[in-house]
Amino acid sequence: MRRVTDVVQLLGPVVVLVLVGIVGSMSFVDAALANEFRGALVSVAIVVALYVFVGNSGVISFGHVSFVAVGAFAAGVMTIPVELKPTITPGLFPLLGEHSVGNAASLVLAAAAGGVFALLVGIPLMRLSGLSAGIATFAVLGVTYNILNNWTKIGPGPLTLTTVPETTDLVQATAGAVAVVTIAFLYQRSRLGRKLRAAREDPAAARAAGIDIHRQRLWAFAISGALSGFAGGLFVHHAGTLQARDVYLDLTFLTLAMLVVGSVGSLWGAVVGALAVSALDSFLLDAESGEIGLINDVLGKPLWGGSRLVGVAAFMAIVLVLLPQGLTRGREFRIPGLGRSRRGAQESAA
Amino acid sequence: MGAPEPMLEVEGLEVRYGTVPAVRGIDLAVGRGEIVGLIGPNGAGKSTTLHAIMGAVRPSAGEIRLAGVSIRGRAPEQVVRAGIALVPEGRRIYAELTVEENLRLGLCGRRARAGAEEAVEGIFELFPVVREARRRQAGLLSGGQQQQLAIGRALVAEPDVLLLDEPSLGLAPAVVDTVFEALRAIRERGVTVLLVEQRAQRTVALADRTYVMSNGELRMTLGPDDAHDTGRMVAAYFGSS
Amino acid sequence: MTEHVQTLLDATALGSIYALMAIGIGLVFGVLRLVNFAYGQLIMAGAYALALTNDRPVLVSIALCFGVILALSLAMEFAAFRPLRRASPTTMLVATFAISYLLQSIALVRFGAIGKIVVVIPELNRSVTIGGLHVRWITIVTILVAIAVFAALTAFLNRTSIGLQMRAASIDSQTARLLGVRANAVITVAVLISGVIAAIVAVILPMAVPERLLVGPDFALRETIIVLVGVVVGGIDRLLSATLGGFTMGFAVGALSGFLPSSGSWPFTSSVYLDSAVFMLVIVVLLLRPEGLFARGRRTAVERV
Repeated sequence: MRRVTDVVQLLGPVVVLVLVGIVGSMSFVDAALANEFRGALVSVAIVVALYVFVGNSGVISFGHVSFVAVGAFAAGVMTIPVELKPTITPGLFPLLGEHSVGNAASLVLAAAAGGVFALLVGIPLMRLSGLSAGIATFAVLGVTYNILNNWTKIGPGPLTLTTVPETTDLVQATAGAVAVVTIAFLYQRSRLGRKLRAAREDPAAARAAGIDIHRQRLWAFAISGALSGFAGGLFVHHAGTLQARDVYLDLTFLTLAMLVVGSVGSLWGAVVGALAVSALDSFLLDAESGEIGLINDVLGKPLWGGSRLVGVAAFMAIVLVLLPQGLTRGREFRIPGLGRSRRGAQESAA
Repeated sequence: MGAPEPMLEVEGLEVRYGTVPAVRGIDLAVGRGEIVGLIGPNGAGKSTTLHAIMGAVRPSAGEIRLAGVSIRGRAPEQVVRAGIALVPEGRRIYAELTVEENLRLGLCGRRARAGAEEAVEGIFELFPVVREARRRQAGLLSGGQQQQLAIGRALVAEPDVLLLDEPSLGLAPAVVDTVFEALRAIRERGVTVLLVEQRAQRTVALADRTYVMSNGELRMTLGPDDAHDTGRMVAAYFGSS
Repeated sequence: MTEHVQTLLDATALGSIYALMAIGIGLVFGVLRLVNFAYGQLIMAGAYALALTNDRPVLVSIALCFGVILALSLAMEFAAFRPLRRASPTTMLVATFAISYLLQSIALVRFGAIGKIVVVIPELNRSVTIGGLHVRWITIVTILVAIAVFAALTAFLNRTSIGLQMRAASIDSQTARLLGVRANAVITVAVLISGVIAAIVAVILPMAVPERLLVGPDFALRETIIVLVGVVVGGIDRLLSATLGGFTMGFAVGALSGFLPSSGSWPFTSSVYLDSAVFMLVIVVLLLRPEGLFARGRRTAVERV
C-alpha cells in the first residue's frame, strides 16, 4: 500500500502538468493563450525548484531568483547568434562572445551555472537560519542583480538581451516542468532529503543522530540552485528577451508568494500555488484586454488596466491571511480512499 | 462551623496540549482568606491548572469561578483585572528593567486607580530588600530577592486571589523561610492564596488544606496535621489512591 | 577636503532618515514579532497625499499626510496583523510583502507610473554657508528632527507607563499579559507611533533625497529594503541595535556613493556597483555576527548551525 501512495504522490502532479500541456496545445487555444499556458508551466518549474530548498530545510531563501537569473542569462547569452553578439552584448569576454550553443546544451549550461553558483554561495551562507538567512540570501539577490545589470563582460548589462531562440514550446515547457517535479520528488524521498527534513523538525535530535545540518542544507541548496538555473533556461527560451529586472524583485515576490499560497511544505502545494496564481494572472490579463465576455457584460467594459497586479496581489494577501498554511495545508497529492492518507514533507523521516 | 465562602472554584477542569491530556477533570475550591496548597510530582498538571485559571491556556472542559462569577475563557489581562494575580514559575522577572520598573508593571493589573503609591509602599514594607534595590537592574538580584520582587509585583495589583507557582524553586532553605513567612503576612492582609509547590511538607504544614495532584488528577486532600505523617505523604506522591 | 565633509554630512542625514524608518519597523516588530515589509508603502501613501495637495497650504498638506498614513496603519493592523499573529515568520514576511505589492499596484492603477512632484517647504532647499561648506537647510533639519524623535521616544519609553508596558511586551509578551498589560492597546500605540514616524519620513524624504522628488508607486521601496537589511544586520531584537543598524546602512550608502568613482569596467570598481558593495558587507557581517552587529551577544531571534 505504501508504494502505491508514493507513486500517486508523484503521478498526481505529473499528470496534472501533462494535462495542462495537452490542453494548451489544442487547436481551440489561440497563440496568446498558449503562451500563457507555457508561462504557467515555466512558473511551476521555478517554484518547485525553490520548494526543493525551502520546503525541505525550513529555511527561507529570498535569493533563489539569482540562480534563475544566472541560468537565464547563461542560456540566453550563449544561444543568441554569434554574429549578433557584438550588437546586443558588446564587451563580452571572448570565450563567451565567439561561441554559441544549441537549445539542449544551453539548458544543461543553465543548470550547471545555477548549481555551481548556489554551491559557492551556499558554503558560507548555509550556517545561517531564520531571519539572517533570509536577509543574507536577499543580499545575494541584490548583488546578482546589480552585477548582471551593469557588467557588460558577461552579459548585456543595462541593455535588453534579445533574439534568444524561443525554443520553449509546450512540449519543452511540459517536459521541463515534469523533470523538475520528478527530481524534486526523488530528492525528497531519498536519504538526503529525509535527513534534511529530520533536521528541520528537530535540529538538536538530528545533530545527535550524526546528521551534519550544514552539509544537508548545502546539498539541497545546490540541487535547488541547479533546478532554478534550469528553470531560468526554460524561462529565457520562453520569453525570447531578457533584462535583469525580469529576474529580480517582481519574480522573487511572485515565486515566493506562489509557493506560500500553495503551501511551503509540500511538492503538490508548490505545483498548485504556481498553477493557481498563474491562472488568476491570465484570467485578469484577458479580462483587461476585453476577452472575457462575462466581465464585459457585468462591467460594461473590459477590466481596468492595472487591475491584474492588484488582483494577484490581493488574492495572495487574502489567502495568506485566511489560510496561513496555504491551499494544500502541507499535504501531498493523494486520491481519497486509496491507502493511508499522508502529510507531505511534514511527515517525520519514516 | 461552615467552611469560608469559596473565593475561587474549579470544577471538572480538563486541559489538553494537542492530544495529550495534562489535567483530567479536577475540582478545587479555595475559601476567602485561606491558603490552599497544591502539591505533586513534576508533570502532574499543577502549573497547567494555574495557567488555565489565568486564561493563558484554554480548558477543553470544566468551569472556573471567581466569587461565583465564571471567568472561563477570559484573556489573561481580563482575569488579572477581575482580581487574580499570578507569580509565575521561574519568577519571569524582566532582567533588563530595574526593580522599580518591574514593580510598576504590576500596577497595570490594578482595579482601582487610586492608591497605587500606597500599594508600592506596602510592598516595600513587606519586602525591605526590594526597596533597597529599587534602582538596580532586576537581573542582578539573587534568586531569593527576585522571588520577593515577583511576589511583590503580583501583590501591587491588590488582587483578591494570589496564585504562586513553585516559589521556593531553586532557593536556599533560609530564603525559603522568608518566602513562607511572607505568605503568612499576605494571608493576614486578607488575600486568598493558592500555592503550587514541590516542597510537600512545608506546604502541608502552612496551608489550611492541601490537594495532592498526580498525572492530571487529584489524589487526596491533606490537612496540617498530616505534615508529619510520612506514610501518607509518600502514598500521596507515589500513587495509591 | 570640504567635499568629504559635505559627503559625510549628507551621509549622516541619509543615515538619520534610515534610522527613523528603522525605529518605525523595529517598534512594530518588538510588540508583534512581525516584519512589516509594507512600511515603505505607508510612506508612499503619505507622499502621494503631499503631492496631490501641492497647491494647498503647507500645514494642510502635512496634516493630510499624517492623517492618511495613520488611517492606513490602523487598517493594516486590523485587517492583516491581527489575523497573522499566529503565523510563521516566513508567512508573515511574505504576507506583508504581498500587501506591499498590493498597495503599489493600487497606486499604479490609480495614479499611473509617472511620478508626481512633491514640493513641501521649498525654503529648506536653500543652502547656508558655514565655514566654507555649503549645506542645505534640509540636511541640518533632517539630522535635528531625527535627534528630536529619538529623544522624545526615549523619554516616552522610559518615563511613561505605556512606554514601560511596550518595553516589557517587546521582551516577553506572555508575562506582560499575565501582569495585566493590555496587549491590543500596546500594539495599537506602537502602530500609531510607527505611523507618525512614517509621516515624518514622508515629509522629509522628497526634500532630502533628490531622486525622491517624484512620488511613484515604488516610492521608498529601495529605502525599505535597505532599512530592513540594516535592521537585521544591526540586531532586530532590540530597538537600539535595530536603529543603529538602520543608521549604519544609510550612512554607508551615502558615504560610498560619495566616495566611489563613477565608472569602472569591473564589479565593485565604480559607483554603479554601490548596492553590491553594501550587500557584500551585509553578507560578511551576517556571517560573522548573525545575531546582529550591535546586539549584546545573547541568543536572539536568529540561530546558527
